[in-house]
Amino acid sequence: MAPVLMWLIMVLCLVISVAKYLMGLILRLAHPGAKVRKDYSYEPTVSVLMPCYNEGKTVYETIESISKSNYPNEKFEVIAQDDCSADDSFEWMLKAQRDFTNIRIRVGRNEENCGKARSVCNALEHSVAEVIISIDSDCIFHPEAIRELTACFGEPGIGSVGGRVGVRNPNESVITAIQTIVYYTAFQLYKIPENWTRSVCCISGCLFAIRRELLLEIEPSIRARHWFGIPVNQGEDRFLTHQTLLRGYGTYIDNEALCWTTVPNNLSQLFKQQLRWRRSIVRDFFFTLRSLPRHVWKLHPNTVLTLVLTPLGAIIGLLVVITSLVSDPMAWAGPVPMITALALAGVLTWWINKFSVHEAIEHPLAFGAYVAWAVVSSLFLTPLALCTMDSADWGTRAKPSEVAVGNANI
Amino acid sequence: MATQTFEPVPAATKKGAAKQPLHYRLMLTTYRIFAVTVLYLVLIGVVCYAFVMGFYAVNSTWAAPVILSAQDEKSLDFREKLVTSQQTIEDLRVDTAKLEKGLEEMQAHRASLTPLEPELEEAINREQAHDRATGPQLAALDKQKLADNKKTQALMEQLDSTRADIQKDLAAGLITRSDATSELAALNQTEDGLTDSRIAEVLLTDEVLDKTNIGTSSLDVLEKQSELRSEAAQLDVAIQVADKQLNEENRQIERLHDAIQTAKQSPYYLNAAGQQRIYFAFVPYDDQANATPGSPIYDCYLNMIVCRKVGTVGKIFPGEQQATHPIFKTQIRGFLIQMDLDHTESAKSKTVFMGSKPLLF
Repeated sequence: MAPVLMWLIMVLCLVISVAKYLMGLILRLAHPGAKVRKDYSYEPTVSVLMPCYNEGKTVYETIESISKSNYPNEKFEVIAQDDCSADDSFEWMLKAQRDFTNIRIRVGRNEENCGKARSVCNALEHSVAEVIISIDSDCIFHPEAIRELTACFGEPGIGSVGGRVGVRNPNESVITAIQTIVYYTAFQLYKIPENWTRSVCCISGCLFAIRRELLLEIEPSIRARHWFGIPVNQGEDRFLTHQTLLRGYGTYIDNEALCWTTVPNNLSQLFKQQLRWRRSIVRDFFFTLRSLPRHVWKLHPNTVLTLVLTPLGAIIGLLVVITSLVSDPMAWAGPVPMITALALAGVLTWWINKFSVHEAIEHPLAFGAYVAWAVVSSLFLTPLALCTMDSADWGTRAKPSEVAVGNANI
Repeated sequence: MATQTFEPVPAATKKGAAKQPLHYRLMLTTYRIFAVTVLYLVLIGVVCYAFVMGFYAVNSTWAAPVILSAQDEKSLDFREKLVTSQQTIEDLRVDTAKLEKGLEEMQAHRASLTPLEPELEEAINREQAHDRATGPQLAALDKQKLADNKKTQALMEQLDSTRADIQKDLAAGLITRSDATSELAALNQTEDGLTDSRIAEVLLTDEVLDKTNIGTSSLDVLEKQSELRSEAAQLDVAIQVADKQLNEENRQIERLHDAIQTAKQSPYYLNAAGQQRIYFAFVPYDDQANATPGSPIYDCYLNMIVCRKVGTVGKIFPGEQQATHPIFKTQIRGFLIQMDLDHTESAKSKTVFMGSKPLLF
């Protein structure tokens, strides 16, 4: 009975995933109704909150790109919050404040290191704008990003809007090439059906816009998050999205609001980053299970299935694979699954190279590496995350002892 | 545009962490112990799995014990086929005995026919020679007889007047009635003699015809000669066929006998028919070099470590077998060996090793 149930759950997860990708493709190509009704005349005041930790000069480049936004300068500001960086990030913020005087830039610093989520909340305390945009301090933003995000709030009921995150360094290594495919498929296919129902499960923290009153309502919950007493500083983007949905608002990803992030260029950092994300998914999973009736009642079925089946499918999938490997170790050696996966990855790579010139992948074996990573990621990360829920390690930021102090004051 | 720098925001998080309730700490400790245990178990599992896979990929001394039961489908099937083969041999032997007897009779009959042919030929020749000699003589005599009969006939034409004279003499009282009767009887006797002579002449003509031409009697003789030859030929063919059939059946018996002898060396037969319990093991062809009679057999814990000698390799059965790889679960080809086990429980192990311990301990 148990093996049958495991297989059923895994097949259900696979079917839903495949269906979502296919739906994404169909909606993208043939259903304009999937897109939100934008109102470009709507120009609310905007605070761009930028928490920062050990980013060095990158933070300067981020503020620079924001300063070039095509949005009325008097209607937006940047609030940069340093989380006690061990490097010269704070100096670079101050330098940006001095250099980009066309916009209002405010710089603050936490008394002690307390993580990204609380840094956002701290920055929020200084904001009075109608729309809050939280960004990552290692991203470069398209000049139209703010305008695109705010225009989406023209549709009533939209509570949070995210931007499309592209990879800034797709060809730095095969690891970055893998992530380029991951990011592209996530934004251009997987999230499209969620967009259609205005129920995106996770808006990326790289570019996250939310109505002020909604954020203020959620903010105490963000500060109060903990795992058996251990403060949770990760996954505030997923938490915010989830809370937005539970409060009856819609969530949406605007693929025309672009930003570019520098993704990890080595396996270790990628692994840690993905593990961190997976912990957020597991936290969300437990939270969903704790209040499942409320979720079922309030949220779109697509959202509930995604919240529940994504982590459950990963755990069950690992058990099924272990069982299969024990009972028939050579089963995976058949050429059909491997060829199918490689072919799909090849098509995706070709698609990206054709339709997203900035992210064109040069590495010839990237699609093969993507398949290998997809297997590892799908099977091992969620169980590993389940066993490391108490970890507060961010993973992709250098430790204080590792940072090199730059020359921000020159 | 205005710029602004804030005062540092006081941190409240550490205070919260410091006030961690006891049940949280207990939960966390339990969770951490559980998580670390699970992770290490998974890690150990993965390493062990990879090692086992690698080990069996390169090891060439393993064999998989096979327990064959007398009730095993293959054994039963094998036994049934063996019985059928033996029955077939018995049937063939009865057939060959019959065939041999029939063949002997046919050969005897054929042998009896063989001298008849020259004898018949000789008799025909002899008769023909005789006919050639007597035929003309008889023809001449026939002519003579015909002439004699004609003369007699001419004389007989005068007998009516003689009979009338006798009647006149009797009426005239010249002769007595008794004399007249005697004379008349003599006349009748003469006529009767002429008739006999004519019959004899006709028969003689027939005889001459027979001796000087091919008559019906000659044809009868030739027919009999032909029948004799046909019968002989038919017998020759039948003998030949029977001889071939006999040879073929004898060969078949020989083949079946060989097959049964080979089958009796099969593990399935030995298992089904033997009085003692026999232990077998499947050896893949890759491990053939280590499967030599007398080689020690080791049984190990966890299929590879802490090994002990449990017996030796006994007989090697040449027939090909197919089996499922005990670890990889793929179909592999190989053969069976007999294990002479001192520790019979090793027959239930997943694998045993031939020749030496796989990991030196």
